[in-house]
Amino acid sequence: MNKVDLVDFVDWSGVECLNQNSSHSLPNALKQGYREDDGLNLESDADEQLLINIPFTQVVKLYSVVVKGPEEEGPKTVKLFSNKEHMGFSNVNEFPPSDTAILSPDNLKEKPVVLKYVKFQNVRSLTIFIEDNQSGSDITKVQKIALFGTTVETTDMKGLKKIEDH
Amino acid sequence: MVLEFDCILTSYDQATMICIDNSEWMRNGDYNPSRFQAQADAVNLICGAKTQSNPENTVGVLTIAGKGVRVLVTPTSDLGKILACMHGLEIGGEMNLAAGIQVAQLALKHRQNKKQQQRIIVFAGSPIKHDKKALEMIGRKLKKNSVALDIVDFGEDDDGKAEKLEALLASVNNNDTSHIVHVPPGPNALSDVLISTPIFTGDSEGGSGFAAAAAAAAAGGVSGFEFGVDPNLDPELALALRVSMEEERARQEAAAKKAAEEAAKHEKGEEQPSSSQDATMTESASVTASEADNKRNDITDEENALLQQALAMSMDDPASSHELRDTDMSDTAADDPDLTLALQLSVQDSAKDSGSQTDMSKLLADQSFVSSILASLPGVDPNDPSVKDLLASMQSQSEPQEKKDEDEPKEEK
Repeated sequence: MNKVDLVDFVDWSGVECLNQNSSHSLPNALKQGYREDDGLNLESDADEQLLINIPFTQVVKLYSVVVKGPEEEGPKTVKLFSNKEHMGFSNVNEFPPSDTAILSPDNLKEKPVVLKYVKFQNVRSLTIFIEDNQSGSDITKVQKIALFGTTVETTDMKGLKKIEDH
Repeated sequence: MVLEFDCILTSYDQATMICIDNSEWMRNGDYNPSRFQAQADAVNLICGAKTQSNPENTVGVLTIAGKGVRVLVTPTSDLGKILACMHGLEIGGEMNLAAGIQVAQLALKHRQNKKQQQRIIVFAGSPIKHDKKALEMIGRKLKKNSVALDIVDFGEDDDGKAEKLEALLASVNNNDTSHIVHVPPGPNALSDVLISTPIFTGDSEGGSGFAAAAAAAAAGGVSGFEFGVDPNLDPELALALRVSMEEERARQEAAAKKAAEEAAKHEKGEEQPSSSQDATMTESASVTASEADNKRNDITDEENALLQQALAMSMDDPASSHELRDTDMSDTAADDPDLTLALQLSVQDSAKDSGSQTDMSKLLADQSFVSSILASLPGVDPNDPSVKDLLASMQSQSEPQEKKDEDEPKEEK
């Protein structure tokens, strides 16, 4: 089964982001149109960490993620949690992440991070904890977040967009 | 009537923790009757406003001085429970602002409804022992976790206190969701000063119906927006208020004339504030009167009458009961806090609850009943001309209302 861009299955009413700068907010990185514009970024506010919660409109299987960012302020340590809502910065490290990614400069240039597929078979919501950034600067900047996988329920074969291998 | 306000308005669910300064500095009497009592009254009013404006709102209370930070009640929507815990509080010690805010943040974190927006209201009435840096760190942590902060700076005024609190506000403020109010000691009750601030009226989220009506009535347009409601955010409410003000103006002019005649004989000073207040409101109402006329078709007469009634009650009662309340606070607070609270609550309730309004207005209209209450209050002379004027204006107010109360059952939708 081909992997699709899961942006169509994001439940926007429940999308949340803690510690985002209100004028550089999550839609800049997640929404189609905005995420393609490198000038529109998601930026952190009080410090360099970000806690993002993305619920889906149906259960999905997650295969890979793309996190695009600038060389210096782009994210480095990214922890992903499946189906773990309502965490805060104070307790996010008390739970084992479903997967952890240390982003390389290639990843920041849109090379997908392939995840531990078995951990993401039944995802209702995805929480992304960006713990630090590449250069240790006070502000983390994210240009694009894209999620790829499949839905668990019926997939419309005609609607599938083939993802090119990088 | 004010139920209609709440239906029009979208008020986001809030969870609020109120931090009370119960330190030794609160014994001072530079606020009427004491710093502590003025603070307690303000807290009671805030709790009422929050829970009334949205039944999903929750409020909790903690004290930050005494033997240590103590949570009196965790966020709940039960107003009775909140008010009950305010009794029997001990004054002493010095406040620990940092610990208080941190405990408040923890209490909010464990709120039942995670979708609620988090807010801390802190009353800072005594010197702050923390330095600016520590406060800024606390502020940043609040901002990071999306907690808004309202600061009431009152009481003790030492070097650097205001500066420290402003720094704290700056570090937590995100898009004007946090506020600070400096209240110097003075003749006005702490609650009255706060009622016209964003602490009551809310911020760009939309505020609350009760607070908007109270702010409009008490402050007379001081809050910046016409009626404490941003027309951009809630055009329907702003329009409804405008239209009802237009009708209110006509009746007010007649009543004001009569009151002014009597006031001319007695003390002019006391009538001035309330009539100039009316003037401010009518001026702003007349500017938009033409627009209101065009859109009049959209609002039925029934709604007009009901809205007018609600505003009239909330407008007249604070104006007439300001003196009642001030007297209450100074003389009866020590003797009978329950009576004071009951009077306050009943004044608030009568502005909101349509069911009890008939009873309340009849009670208030009954001159002998009111006179007997006033007579029992030490320091109030029912034969005082200004008190007589108020009774007279309340009497004229109640007559059209009784007529409308009769019409009400037929107009139920």
